Amino acid sequence: MRALIDLIIHNKHWFVFLLLEVISLVFLFSHNGYQKSVYFTTANDVVGSAYNVISGITSYLHLKEENHDLEAANEQLRKEVYEMHQQLEAIQKDSVKRMPALSLKYDVVSAQVVNMTIHKANNFITINKGEADGIRPEMGVINSRGVVGIVYMTSRHYSIVMPLLNVNSKISCRLRNSEYFGSLVWQRGYADIAYVTSVPRHAPVKKKEIVETNGYSDIFPPGLPIGVVQEIGDSPDGMSYFLRVKLFANFPTLREVSVITNYSSPERRMLEEMAEDPAKQDSVLISQDKMKELEEQKKKAADEKAEKERLEFERVKQQLEKEHSTSTPSATITNDNPISTDTVR
Amino acid sequence: MNSIFLTRLFRLFILLLFQVLVFNNIHLLGYITPLVIGYMVVCMHRNASRIAVLVWGFVIGLLFDTFSNTAGMGAASCTLIAMIQPVLLERLAPRDSAENLTPSFTSLGFWNYVFYVFLLMAALHGCFYLLDAFTLTDWPLTLFSISGGSVFTTIIIIFIELLIRTRKETTRHL
Repeated sequence: MRALIDLIIHNKHWFVFLLLEVISLVFLFSHNGYQKSVYFTTANDVVGSAYNVISGITSYLHLKEENHDLEAANEQLRKEVYEMHQQLEAIQKDSVKRMPALSLKYDVVSAQVVNMTIHKANNFITINKGEADGIRPEMGVINSRGVVGIVYMTSRHYSIVMPLLNVNSKISCRLRNSEYFGSLVWQRGYADIAYVTSVPRHAPVKKKEIVETNGYSDIFPPGLPIGVVQEIGDSPDGMSYFLRVKLFANFPTLREVSVITNYSSPERRMLEEMAEDPAKQDSVLISQDKMKELEEQKKKAADEKAEKERLEFERVKQQLEKEHSTSTPSATITNDNPISTDTVR
Repeated sequence: MNSIFLTRLFRLFILLLFQVLVFNNIHLLGYITPLVIGYMVVCMHRNASRIAVLVWGFVIGLLFDTFSNTAGMGAASCTLIAMIQPVLLERLAPRDSAENLTPSFTSLGFWNYVFYVFLLMAALHGCFYLLDAFTLTDWPLTLFSISGGSVFTTIIIIFIELLIRTRKETTRHL
């Protein structure tokens, strides 16, 4: 026993070493889960605000390119607005038909990049908007040129985005002309090149074809540009194409991004989860029964309330009539009544 | 003791500032990012308690991780070199040197010091980049980052050391 204690005391640094290494590895592996590591990353408010100050200074370095981009985007938007106006005019002349939805189907929150890596295997971007601005994990992130990535974790005022430049990122996409779909992955190396896999061999693929989102996932709406096909190769198994894509988003100078906030629908996600996991179907049915029960209870309560209010109304009415017969009528009586009649109905 | 602690804290602050603002933005040849924060462990003097060195290494790594989104990677690698450092220093110190020897050019000799820094940096970058890649499929790239990072960081640390020592010498002459 004494020998054992001596051994422990003599080699206590080994135990401390092992303990600290285990703690580090726990951090390392829990980083792959959600929220857990928010306090050891730049989504943390303190570190995030430090980066905010830093990026406030460094953002001036990229102003020229940023301006150029905005100018280009502006130009295109102006053109589009003009076209839309013309279209609208043509339709209004007809006066019967109207385009059902000219407006965007999704809202965006614009945010600034405060920290970013592009040279690691797992790159992340920190942006200065968080839960307080309505941002949640798994929302899509775009900029004026194209798709940037997907929100990975959020804190109150900051979020971490998993960009396309992450070996774990996988985004479903399609070719604009032929509508064949594949998935976009990244391999460590270049910050402007990604690869599309699993496009079938019979798809007519050409160089310079545009790759865009296909709306199969509920993260991005369909039709957002991702990149342009640069080289056509074969996958190792020879069953599909392996396309080299030049990304539109220029990651090294990325400053302004937009987060798509209201595109994803919980109902759709629930349905998909249900289809994948038959065990959940029962629970959903049960919850539907419960919902029905709850609704009935609510209805009953509402009926009771209405009945009560009706009685009250009658009582007030009688009282008022009595007063009316004794004294002169006043304007307030007529003002009170409509409110109660509304609730009774 | 207290003054040593404060010196370390000050050094930590300055190093962290430089690491986050400058060195994290350097990507030599596309991949090599120097982890100069390891200089903190290099500077630990000879008779410091091993546990203290370990805890310092861990804290340094964790702070580095917080600022660069590498949860755990920096902490694991800094703890590793904090474990190696006392053994290495004991081996390389001249036989008749002082008990509380601080590693530097003058105390270890130029080439011994370079060797000492390079070994620690190789361990640091090796651990860090292996954890970063977490696979051996693209091992040429990982090996390239490790060797490049160790050499580059060793050069930076020697440069810092030269800067500090020469300034100290000149102030002593004054």
